[in-house]
Amino acid sequence: MEGTGRSSSWALFVGPYGVYLLVFLVLPFANVALLSVYHHSPTKIAVAGFTAANYTRLFELYYATLFLRTVRLSLIVTAVCAILGYPLAYLLARSTSRIVTLGLFLLIVPLMVSTVIRVFGWVVILGSEGLVNQALRLLGAEEGVRLLYTEGAVILGLAQQSMPFMVLPLLAAIERISPSLEEAAQNLGASWSQMFARVIVPLSMPGLVSGSLLVFSVSMSAFITPALMGGRRVRMVGQQIYEEVLTAYDWPGAASLTIVLAVLMLGLVGLTLRTTRRRARLESARP
Amino acid sequence: MRGGAPRFLWVLAIAVYVLLLAPLVVVIAVSFGATATFDFPPKGLSLRWYQAFFASPMFVRSFFRVSQVIGLWTALVATIAGTLAAIGLVRFRFPGRQAIETFFLSPLLVPHILLGAAVYLYLARLAWPTSSLTLLVGHIAIATPYVIRCVTAGLVGMDPRLEEAAMSLGASRVQAFFRVTLPLLRSSLVTGAVFAFIISFSDINLALFLAGANAPSLPVHIFSQIQFEADPSIAAASALQIVIVGGLILLVQRLFRLRLIV
Repeated sequence: MEGTGRSSSWALFVGPYGVYLLVFLVLPFANVALLSVYHHSPTKIAVAGFTAANYTRLFELYYATLFLRTVRLSLIVTAVCAILGYPLAYLLARSTSRIVTLGLFLLIVPLMVSTVIRVFGWVVILGSEGLVNQALRLLGAEEGVRLLYTEGAVILGLAQQSMPFMVLPLLAAIERISPSLEEAAQNLGASWSQMFARVIVPLSMPGLVSGSLLVFSVSMSAFITPALMGGRRVRMVGQQIYEEVLTAYDWPGAASLTIVLAVLMLGLVGLTLRTTRRRARLESARP
Repeated sequence: MRGGAPRFLWVLAIAVYVLLLAPLVVVIAVSFGATATFDFPPKGLSLRWYQAFFASPMFVRSFFRVSQVIGLWTALVATIAGTLAAIGLVRFRFPGRQAIETFFLSPLLVPHILLGAAVYLYLARLAWPTSSLTLLVGHIAIATPYVIRCVTAGLVGMDPRLEEAAMSLGASRVQAFFRVTLPLLRSSLVTGAVFAFIISFSDINLALFLAGANAPSLPVHIFSQIQFEADPSIAAASALQIVIVGGLILLVQRLFRLRLIV
């Protein structure tokens, strides 16, 4: 069909979803941007006008702490996923196709099951009457340990949730590295770990970058996991947005938070796209 | 064995799978327990939490009347819209094509909690009350990019000469599309539709905002149950979801290279 269609017939194909996204993605965010400069009123929720107060408020200690905690936890989660995800991605990349099929299945099912169900599993494991505490009691511990509602719990939950986002791009990147490079390095006297550090890691860097950006952005915008595993002690930005919209009815406040987070994410996404594009270009340049 | 990966790598990899699967395994195990507390290993096996699940009008409604129905509608609409978009993007050349493709895949990258809040505030401005319909609207937006990816991959991998051959043998373009292209795209379409269903079926971040108070989807109902009165029928509901999602992934894995989509 290429080139033979009438000049505008592409619009018939691309149009429906394009218009849909304009109406249900672009306009909603435009509305949020508008709301974010409205005045907040406890009785009328939002009053049209212009104020920067919703943004300057974000520099207050409460919000600064919230943002810093969210960024810090997301960075830790990203590091945990990278360290644990690399070995798995490497082994899968060098496995037979049958093992890869099984390995991918076991990665994708946890990714696709609802977040709330995965978190429920963690609550059963880590709760005050949970499995870990039951086991400790069997071993003779007198008092339970508080595992839930700690930063550790939130990190564990978020790492479990976003691990596939790290492993899948890494796997794709490592698969492109020819095993003969590994052999060459080792024949020239490199130990396995030297080879891994000097050959595999540098050559799979685009996968590490896009995996890290994905994991970071998933963690930055997490809501369910910190809400159920962190509670009031380990609040993150996602919870704040949810509560300001649905329980506090501070819509201009929620709007400014949404815009800040969305702009941050868009910047990161731009970076991701740039790295994946470059990767695609490298690949298409191959014979 | 010189040069092989050291054994600790396997230990780490298995540890990652334990981390990934532990919550799911625990949920399934608890759902077959016999006592009212969450015991693992279960003290005796029973199906009582499944009975409790099916006896609870809210659970049954959120599962069968809300999540399942919205999932199927999402799959249908997203497959049609996504297939059209993919054909437009692959088979036509027009200015801004690359930008439109990025735009179409952007719902994969916008955090769903932000999209949910944004659509909620937008609907509030339009004075459009939330309901299952508004949830469907949100789910179509986030599920369609998965269909676009599947169908794009299918179209790119297809030899355009097959269509040209059909047309040179006298088929019109529409006939060639329906008799040649569409049947060849079958596995891409099924995979896209299944993913669209799963995305809708598992979503909670949009549903929290858009589902409407009277018709929570299954994940939303589970969320409120965990917060207020955790009883193991949550585990039964969750186990059912895990089995459905796992079965669907198993199905599409036979049809398609999953890595092109996720």
